[in-house]
Amino acid sequence: MGWLFEKRKNELDEEIRAHMALDVADRMSRGESRAQAEAGAASDFGNAALVQDVTHESWRWRRLERFANDLRYALRSLRRSAGFSITVIATLAVGVGGTCAMFSVVDGVLLRPLPFKAPGSLVEIRESGKKGPLGYGSPYLDIDQWRQRSRAFSQIAFYGNDTRRASFLEGSAGTMHVSSAAVSANLFDLLGVHPALGRGFSARDAGGSVKADDEHSLLLSDAVWRANYGADPAIVGKTVVMNGESFRVIGVMPRSFTFPFTGANTNGMPLVWKALVLKGEDALRTHNGAPRYDALGRLRDGVTLATAEAELKVFQPDVVKSYSEARDREIANSISLRRYTDSLVDGDVRKALFALMGASALLWLIACLNAASLMWARALVRRRELAVRSALGASRWQIVEYLLMEGVLLSGCASLLGLGLAAGILKLFEHGLEAQYKIHESLMLNLPVLGALLALTVVGALLISAWPTLAATRASIDTALRQGSPQQGMGKAQHRMRAVLVVAEIALSLTLLVGCGLLLRTIYALKHVPLGFRTEHIVVANMTIPSYRFAGRDMTTALYQPLVERVKRLPGVENATLLTEVPLGKTFRMIFTFAPQGNSADAVRRGAMEAQFRAVGPEMQQVFGFQMLRGRFFNSGDTATSQAVVVVNRAFVRAYFGDDRDPGKILGEDLVGFGKDRRSVVVGVLDDERQVSVAESSQPEMEVCIPQITPESMFYKAAEGMSMDLAVRSARSLTLVTPELREALRAASPDFSASTFSTMDQVVEDSFGNQNLAAHLLEIFGGSALLLCLAGIYGLLSYLVAQRRQEIGVRIALGAQQWNVMSLILRQAGWMLAAGLGIGLGLAYLGTSALRTLLYGVKAGDPWTVCIVSLVLLVGGIAASLVPARRAALVDPTEALRAE
Amino acid sequence: MMGRNGYRNRVELLQGTLDMLILRTLQWGPAHGYGIVQALRTQSGEALQVETGSLYPALHRLERQGWVKSKWKQSEANQRARYYSITAAGKKQLAEDLSRWEQMVAVMGGILKATPAE
Repeated sequence: MGWLFEKRKNELDEEIRAHMALDVADRMSRGESRAQAEAGAASDFGNAALVQDVTHESWRWRRLERFANDLRYALRSLRRSAGFSITVIATLAVGVGGTCAMFSVVDGVLLRPLPFKAPGSLVEIRESGKKGPLGYGSPYLDIDQWRQRSRAFSQIAFYGNDTRRASFLEGSAGTMHVSSAAVSANLFDLLGVHPALGRGFSARDAGGSVKADDEHSLLLSDAVWRANYGADPAIVGKTVVMNGESFRVIGVMPRSFTFPFTGANTNGMPLVWKALVLKGEDALRTHNGAPRYDALGRLRDGVTLATAEAELKVFQPDVVKSYSEARDREIANSISLRRYTDSLVDGDVRKALFALMGASALLWLIACLNAASLMWARALVRRRELAVRSALGASRWQIVEYLLMEGVLLSGCASLLGLGLAAGILKLFEHGLEAQYKIHESLMLNLPVLGALLALTVVGALLISAWPTLAATRASIDTALRQGSPQQGMGKAQHRMRAVLVVAEIALSLTLLVGCGLLLRTIYALKHVPLGFRTEHIVVANMTIPSYRFAGRDMTTALYQPLVERVKRLPGVENATLLTEVPLGKTFRMIFTFAPQGNSADAVRRGAMEAQFRAVGPEMQQVFGFQMLRGRFFNSGDTATSQAVVVVNRAFVRAYFGDDRDPGKILGEDLVGFGKDRRSVVVGVLDDERQVSVAESSQPEMEVCIPQITPESMFYKAAEGMSMDLAVRSARSLTLVTPELREALRAASPDFSASTFSTMDQVVEDSFGNQNLAAHLLEIFGGSALLLCLAGIYGLLSYLVAQRRQEIGVRIALGAQQWNVMSLILRQAGWMLAAGLGIGLGLAYLGTSALRTLLYGVKAGDPWTVCIVSLVLLVGGIAASLVPARRAALVDPTEALRAE
Repeated sequence: MMGRNGYRNRVELLQGTLDMLILRTLQWGPAHGYGIVQALRTQSGEALQVETGSLYPALHRLERQGWVKSKWKQSEANQRARYYSITAAGKKQLAEDLSRWEQMVAVMGGILKATPAE
């Protein structure tokens, strides 16, 4: 930039010289001597420097030039005190890095704009009853009743909720795993999004379901269209094959569109949409007879959520009257509404994210306080420099501009560095973020994140340069100039100001550290929960199986049994088992509800039973080491032709068979039938285990044995068609076993090649990933805060010692002992720590209540944690002040006095 | 500070007319700063001595407005100098200025020359 100004200036200079030269030449041609001519020309021209200056002013970039000057001075002065600049930049960068990383997570999870029209008026409608809101949707007949009777909604659409299950779409690039959601014809209209190519589904009637003609029509998402069909513009009308069935592509949705919106609902797979065509069973009113759909309504303008809910609640009891079972009426006789945007993120996750965001903001504030304290010290030292500037004619505004420029420069550099730190933090937590929040991108430099970064930079710059600027505008020039050394004449008030900053830092750090301590205790507690099974030395493969290829064959004998036998023969493998889902896994969950038979009291009680359902191999007990409480586990004698058997757990007995003093009495009970004329008996009771979540106690569970499941069994489709896990126990290192296992699976069937692998330890850790993530983030935030705050104490005390060198020298000369001098400094540290800890305890009490949803096994105000954390801070603070105190005690009186 | 402000005030007074005079002079052909001063002096019968402190800011301003453009050239006296010439936009501006000026002269003249009716 500078050279541009220089060139312009040189040109003006030359122009003026040419003017003079021409004048001189003219005068000489009129007969004047050279000397006369030059003098005359000069006097005619007037003050050349002034002309230059005035012309200069008329240039447009005059302001810009002054800005560049300020920038140059600021850069020069910051470079001259490089140590100071680096300290300030690093301090601020820590704060910006943490906050920026957290903000980009919050932005990715909570602030994403939904790609729908007016997403605020989209409402999820769920039936509710004595068991609370039902999570598995409502039958079409109920949804249709709402549509007909309700005035609050302009439209109600519905869609199938089995979107987690993979479909296999064949295309030019091979077979692709997609999530295929069945949607009603009015859904896209309700969302206000229309296909970019082709058309949407045609509605059969006002009810919104799709015409039977469209049953084999398919809508593609933009991602699928591009990845699988090379963005073929003539795709509409072509036939594609999905799950072995032919579909005609009728359209492609716009690029940003995705529904259901969260990656969690689709296991991160790209989407296609099938037509939701009603079948005969949609008219059933028996228990579990009709398929269930998630319902989404759009509120009419001006209708509130509460009004709409009240309206539906009025006629819902009437709607459920047509159910044939009383129990079905009881659990669905009311309505619960929530905004679609709120349904996307779990309330607990939202709270946890905001708590972490708050923590990072605290760290940023601490960093700013620390930097402000440093800037303040520097401003005092530089008072003379600024006074000289203003004595030489710099206006107050110019000095303010210059100081702000310094602040902006420091803060800007810090933000750049912070951005790098943020990217690093996100990289570090990649696995946790993906497992918890399905965030796949690393640092997204999108508009909100950049906006936040800019805001942090500007506010940071203002915060750190506010005090020096204020001091500069207030300072009177002559007093500053008259003072001999820059160390003299510091008012007590100014020291107190810095001390207040340090106290605030201590208080805020304590808050962060208490939060960190609480989460570490939570993690400790979670890690020591007795799970009820062994987790070490187990590899887990999650397999996605194209079950349509095995239509008409028994997958149990054709696919699964040979695979297990093969894997068992791998070197180092002790045992292997199949199971629909490992304990604490999150990919698949099935809840089994029992069909009541007859009207006896016993039958009614059974009708209320509900259990986690798992189909497992007989080797499961050896692999996981479950304890049997009563009876036996499955064994090789349980086959497709033997007596059907089930195993339940202790929680099941406790919940449905009264007290568990004698859990054995359930043995031999006939709970479920595997198929027509094939009733089962209970042969064993498992001891309690944590199968849903580490923090939740054991849930009622029922297990069936995989070799006993034939295609005629009622669980066949549910248990084997969707997802199957293979758990392998091996004494060898799991990193060695995993590739061999992968190879074995690939050899068994190419369909297994898309399996994902994990270890059981990792599955357990991921199951409390929310806490884990929060704990690790708080470790970083809390650790940084502690360091910053100790640096703040150290910095202030060192400065005070340097200031009071002469006074200390006099004291020592007059006979003060080393201890007296040290206690002088330590007293200062003492009151700062005391005040900081006092305020911090109050803040921590308020602040950590935000963490309540994350805590397990420890209370928000846990006195032990608070004591230990305070002690750490106290010891650290005293250690940080011992160094300057010692330096004070070692002041050489003669030297200190000679400096006077 | 004070001095510079005073200087500027005088420039301010001349501004409107000075711009017009410069543009008018340049209609005769390209000229350098010194040439413009000389031309104005001769044409005014030595009555008008344009201050360089007003001339150069005015020239640079006019150039920024796009009414004149400049080029470095060798003068007759073999001195490299910056020659200014009027642009099409400048000509249009000059025509407008002139008509406004004439209007103003007419109005002022009408008022100033009128004999008081007693």
